[in-house]
Amino acid sequence: MSDAPILSIRNLHAKVADEDIEILHGVDLDLNKGEIHAIMGPNGSGKSTLAKLLAGHPGYEVTDGTVTYKGEDVLELEPDERSQAGIFLAFQYPVEVPGVSIANFLRTALQARLDEGEEIDLFDFQDQLMSAMEVLEMDPAFAERPVNDGFSGGEKKRNEILQMAMLKPTLALMDETDSGLDIDALQVVAEGVNRLSEENPEMTVLIITHYQRLLNYIKPDHVHVMVKGRIVRSGGPEVAEALESEGYEEFRTVGA
Amino acid sequence: MEGVTDALNADAVQSLASGAPEWLQNRRLDAWATYERTPMPSTRLEEWRYTDLSRLLELDSLEPLPWSKRTFDRASAPASLDAALEADREASGRVVELDGSVAHVELDADLAEKGVRLLSLRDAVEEIPEVLERRLATEALPATDGKFQALNAALWQDGIVLVVPRGVRMEDPIRVTRHVSRTGQAIFSRVLIVAEPGSQVSFVDEIVSEDLEEQTLFSSAVEIFAEDAAQVQYVSLQRMGRGAFHLAQQRTIAGKDSTLDTLNVTMGASISRLDLNARLMGPGANSDMLGLCFGDGDQHFDHNTSQDHDAPHTHSDLLYKGALDDRARSVFRGIIRVAKGSQQTDAYQTNRNLLLSEHARADSLPNLEIEADDVRCSHGATVGQLDQDHLFYLMSRGLSRPQAERLVVIGFLGEVLQRLPLGGVVEKVSRGIEEKLNG
Ligand SMILES: Nc1ncnc2c1ncn2[C@@H]1O[C@H](COP(=O)(O)OP(=O)(O)OP(=O)(O)O)[C@@H](O)[C@H]1O
Ligand SMILES: [Mg+2]
Repeated sequence: MSDAPILSIRNLHAKVADEDIEILHGVDLDLNKGEIHAIMGPNGSGKSTLAKLLAGHPGYEVTDGTVTYKGEDVLELEPDERSQAGIFLAFQYPVEVPGVSIANFLRTALQARLDEGEEIDLFDFQDQLMSAMEVLEMDPAFAERPVNDGFSGGEKKRNEILQMAMLKPTLALMDETDSGLDIDALQVVAEGVNRLSEENPEMTVLIITHYQRLLNYIKPDHVHVMVKGRIVRSGGPEVAEALESEGYEEFRTVGA
Repeated sequence: MEGVTDALNADAVQSLASGAPEWLQNRRLDAWATYERTPMPSTRLEEWRYTDLSRLLELDSLEPLPWSKRTFDRASAPASLDAALEADREASGRVVELDGSVAHVELDADLAEKGVRLLSLRDAVEEIPEVLERRLATEALPATDGKFQALNAALWQDGIVLVVPRGVRMEDPIRVTRHVSRTGQAIFSRVLIVAEPGSQVSFVDEIVSEDLEEQTLFSSAVEIFAEDAAQVQYVSLQRMGRGAFHLAQQRTIAGKDSTLDTLNVTMGASISRLDLNARLMGPGANSDMLGLCFGDGDQHFDHNTSQDHDAPHTHSDLLYKGALDDRARSVFRGIIRVAKGSQQTDAYQTNRNLLLSEHARADSLPNLEIEADDVRCSHGATVGQLDQDHLFYLMSRGLSRPQAERLVVIGFLGEVLQRLPLGGVVEKVSRGIEEKLNG
């Protein structure tokens, strides 16, 4: 394998589809295999837009720039094709799917990854699901609850990480997974993510967060600051610590 | 005399009536007189506002199908009938009806011994006239109820009668399978179920057909009596082909402490109109009313329901859900009526719709008419879209668009089926949904 980044974003400009609202004004970012990156930035700076766009949300349109994943242009792929290629987005606002149990949903998602004629092994599936739920300290009865339907904010976030654990992505995008989690839950979820990266050292993770707290548990290799649709600073974990004490004030004028 | 045509006229009634016992002759002729007097419902009537019969019903070209002795031969059963029977599970009794004429009846010998009667309406006229004289198109669906109630009461060619004697409980359902093959006809059939005090029965009434070239009317009049403390479940599965106009009139009469639940599944036909009136007549009566429809192409489904609480301590709970794709449309109009004196009544009504295409349409008109003051009532209606964010979430987990749609539709409609788990029904409906999703 070459040492090319697993994900390479170059001069990415994106706008809201059907409207003249540009949100990303030239993002550059390289993620290497196995690295953990964090993006921080004020509300409305475009973090979720970037994450959704990488996962293929049809509501955004790329007007300039490139996104290369595993050496290939990913922008032409449908969301399901990106998922099958190993990209996973843990949503900031997970969507409810009434009447569809978590177990059924995950079974369908895993089945969709197989070739025609192949069937997932239901015993294996059940085993994996139960042990993933155990790691995330979820009640096994949750498996039969409809996806996100009536879940509390924290339960929804935990459920996102459960899906991540079951789908075993190559590139995991975690959009504010920590918001809505209490302190204990945050630790449990972080532990779940760390375990996944231990089991799969090649997994690359991009964490979007507002708080240093999560980064105390999941140690990033690189931290980026996004302001007004651009990455305005990149560095090591110290960048996050500096933000925690100083806020975004110094960036307010940058690149505006 | 609106609705009298070259084929649907007094002569047709006369020829059906001739040779019948006098009470029946009179009943048919009276019904016909009512039909003639009653104007054709127009869209000026609230109940028919969204279903324009002058445009949708080709009455002039319909021929009433005369009764004829039909025999049923499984080996030569057409595909849709064969598939329906194939998917059936254990039953206490079975009936096959071909083009409105009962062709086969069988009943568990034990139950027959206990006095259960399952027979064609024609045979019932001979064998249990006292039951029919009292109950057929009288208390439940009299001709005076409306134009089509009258038409069916005048022109029925056959039907199914079930009487469950006092205290008899039937473990497995009665399964009725009807098939329509004659295109361009008008078929009038009836169901009469009498569950005597303390008895228990479930009844699955399935109708299937291939696509029909010309408009074919299937009119079904269903009368159900649950006497004191009886328990009845009635399920209608409508999976007719395109070209069919399915017109269903159902009235359920629930006595003291009885349970009378219904499930109406509408998936087939070009046009389907359901009038369901649940009457809670005795204290402690209970009715769950479930409905599920899934339309695509240019299917048109119109549901008109009412929950009449005519006694105190009665309970009804209605849940109708519809998924609509392509240019399909549905109408739900429901009313809860609580009479003065029907205190301590619970009545609920929920209609939810899911639009899978921007050209599909659902109109929902829930209504309440409450004259008692000590009641708990609620009604609610929603029309939702399968929106972009919803689809994106599912697809971001690797599901293709059709897989995502399937999951959402099955999840959405499944809530209804979970509430009435009856052997074989859930599987049949699920399969029907799958077929539509794949179609
Ligand atoms: N579909 C849309 N239509 C119009 N504006 C949009 C749309 N999607 C995003 N925006 C705007 O783009 C900007 C960036 O939004 P985004 O959700 O990416 O911010 P964020 O960095 O994730 O913020 P937060 O930290 O609050 O989650 C915001 O001003 C938002 O209102
Ligand atoms: Mg965000």
